[in-house]
Amino acid sequence: MAHIEFDHVTKRYGDVVAVRDITVTVEDREFFCFFGPPSSGKSTLLRLLLGIEKPTEGEIRIDGKVVNAQSPAERNLAMVFQNLALFPHMSARDNLRFPLVERGVATNIIDERLGGIADKLHIGHLLGKRPAQLSGGERQRVAIGRALMREATAYLMDDPISALDARLREEMRVELKRLQREIGHTFIYVTHDQEEAMSVADRMAILEHGVIRQIDPPQLIYDRPHSRYVASIVGAPTMNFVAGEFDGSRGEFRSADGALKVALSGYCGEATEAVDLAFRPEDTVLGGADGMPARVVSVEPLGAFSIVIVDSGSQALKAMIKGQATPSTGDIVTVGVTPSRVAMFRHGDGRRLEADAHHPTINIKTAREETQPC
Amino acid sequence: MAAITLENLSKNFGAFAALKELNLEVRDREFVALLGPSGCGKTTTMNLISGLLHPSVGRILFDTRDVTPIPMDRRGVGFVFQNYAIFTHMTVRQNLAFGLRVRRLPPSEINRRVGAIAEMMQLTKLLDSRTDKLSVNILQRIAIGRSAIVEPAIFLLDEPLSNVDAAFRQVMRTELKTLQRQFKQTMVYVTHDQLEAMTMADRIAVLDQGILQQVGSPLEIYNHPRNVFVARFIGSPGMNLLNGRLSAENGQTFVDLGPAGRTDALPSGLARAAERAQSANVLVGVRPEDLECVDGATESGLTLVVSFVERIGHRTVVHLGAGAQSAKMTAHSTFVAALGSALRLRARAAGLRLFDRSSGLALTLE
Repeated sequence: MAHIEFDHVTKRYGDVVAVRDITVTVEDREFFCFFGPPSSGKSTLLRLLLGIEKPTEGEIRIDGKVVNAQSPAERNLAMVFQNLALFPHMSARDNLRFPLVERGVATNIIDERLGGIADKLHIGHLLGKRPAQLSGGERQRVAIGRALMREATAYLMDDPISALDARLREEMRVELKRLQREIGHTFIYVTHDQEEAMSVADRMAILEHGVIRQIDPPQLIYDRPHSRYVASIVGAPTMNFVAGEFDGSRGEFRSADGALKVALSGYCGEATEAVDLAFRPEDTVLGGADGMPARVVSVEPLGAFSIVIVDSGSQALKAMIKGQATPSTGDIVTVGVTPSRVAMFRHGDGRRLEADAHHPTINIKTAREETQPC
Repeated sequence: MAAITLENLSKNFGAFAALKELNLEVRDREFVALLGPSGCGKTTTMNLISGLLHPSVGRILFDTRDVTPIPMDRRGVGFVFQNYAIFTHMTVRQNLAFGLRVRRLPPSEINRRVGAIAEMMQLTKLLDSRTDKLSVNILQRIAIGRSAIVEPAIFLLDEPLSNVDAAFRQVMRTELKTLQRQFKQTMVYVTHDQLEAMTMADRIAVLDQGILQQVGSPLEIYNHPRNVFVARFIGSPGMNLLNGRLSAENGQTFVDLGPAGRTDALPSGLARAAERAQSANVLVGVRPEDLECVDGATESGLTLVVSFVERIGHRTVVHLGAGAQSAKMTAHSTFVAALGSALRLRARAAGLRLFDRSSGLALTLE
């Protein structure tokens, strides 16, 4: 069992606030991810949980018990670090055995456990090798294996695969997720790669300057970001933002340059507000009847799809098109958006302008859930 | 003018051959990406071009001039490393101006160029800041700006974006491409990230184990990989490769995929290429986006079991298996399938590729 709670946790280093008023509960057997740009407080949260740092304010609880005063050893959490920290003079087998040998566990128990872990991580054939003889991905698996050798309350990982090649990262994240499902432990994972976070996490917490901006399952974060900040750091290529105003009485968005108008019914209020209209590149429509004219600035072919960057005169927008047939650089096209696929974020606080909850056309969640039959 | 010709280039470190008989031409003003996994020889190639390393065999030409014996500092190439080396006791402005001051350019010219490059690299507001407190992202921008400012005809970049965060990497990809167009440089870019190579390069040279695997435009390489290594390495996820056996029926050619089923009849071009196969045992290549679900009623087609579903934003990667075969399919984000359920699939005929199983080479008509 591992039910982990941060309750109004703040950590200060002198005048610098590393994390502020963090309240989050990680459920037992959850794959929970802290995601944010560098120095947004992700690693600080892991260090606080591990017990290497003490919170300035607030409580950390594991299975209901306050652990603020406990040493790292008493908390019984296992950690995989970014730089792996394998012993170079030991074989993979001895690296895996090490944490249990240190604790004086009987040899037959260690070997039994080692066999099980080696099977799950597909590293049986590597056990006789030293770290220097292993590839990056193999070393990574051994390091994860070493953490798993202990029966820990939860397993903490600080950007564990960021040093690997792109291709290997794609494979390893799936392996990690499978492994976590299989062994049914709680994983708490830190990454600065949004695609990795979305791939592995059951739920993710988005951090900005030490503050949590949203906690939700990845798909909900992607489809219903609460703020412009969250919208802007999740998704690749990044979301498009068009500055303008929303006229609540007429139900219409107008871009600041007047070129783009989108009828958006179903929002509450009559007032006119300064907002950013936001839409994802895959929801950007090129060549539609009611778009604004724009010039194609560049085309990035990715094989399965293409990214077309257009310039409307006042800003650059990205469109993601399926396949390889695209307009050419220099072409004039129209650019628009499907009204049901947009969000609006207020200028100033960046909060999402909420739609009337009962309005069917504007509820993106509803639209998305019409599943595609197979 | 600054074309680069690599002629029969090899580099050995003791008994280890880091690079084997590389022949590659980088045209004037071209953006070429050297792409491959760690240890493939891409950085060695880069270091040979810069003069940091000396080849064991072969020569290097800049245009028609043989630069093989010329030391690094006299080759006049710009170089940006993965680990930027910024002078931390200097301001951003002093760092940017460094190369120009060494070259004793007049102060007015230095100011003009520093202003222009700062504007382009979005460093204008930071010009008078000290560099010791700046983020990794900004430092890498300064490193690129500092090399670009001397306007080298040849600009070499060795994984300049691998230490910056993912969001910033996206922005920098576009900026580097713009930079290259503006300065009209010949650019050689080392990366292990196929996405970076695909989005920026005019041509990609794929390397593995010190051997050049294929050179071509991003789409040439994506659509017509020369061998199974390139097929797997390019694309996200890479191309699926399934073990199969060629079979003929009523004048048409199919590939039998064992427990996974059978392909549709091969298009005529591919069927003719299949006749050149050394053996009936082949690998069938199909991209994840070229697999599609079909109605259960059709007779031919593939049957694969869902082993894992990965939802990433606008798309879903469905991991599939049948016996010892495995494959991935990309689907819309709304796609739903239960783990363990069997899917009836079809591989679009136009997307099918064949590879010889023993040599790993693509079977084509050329």
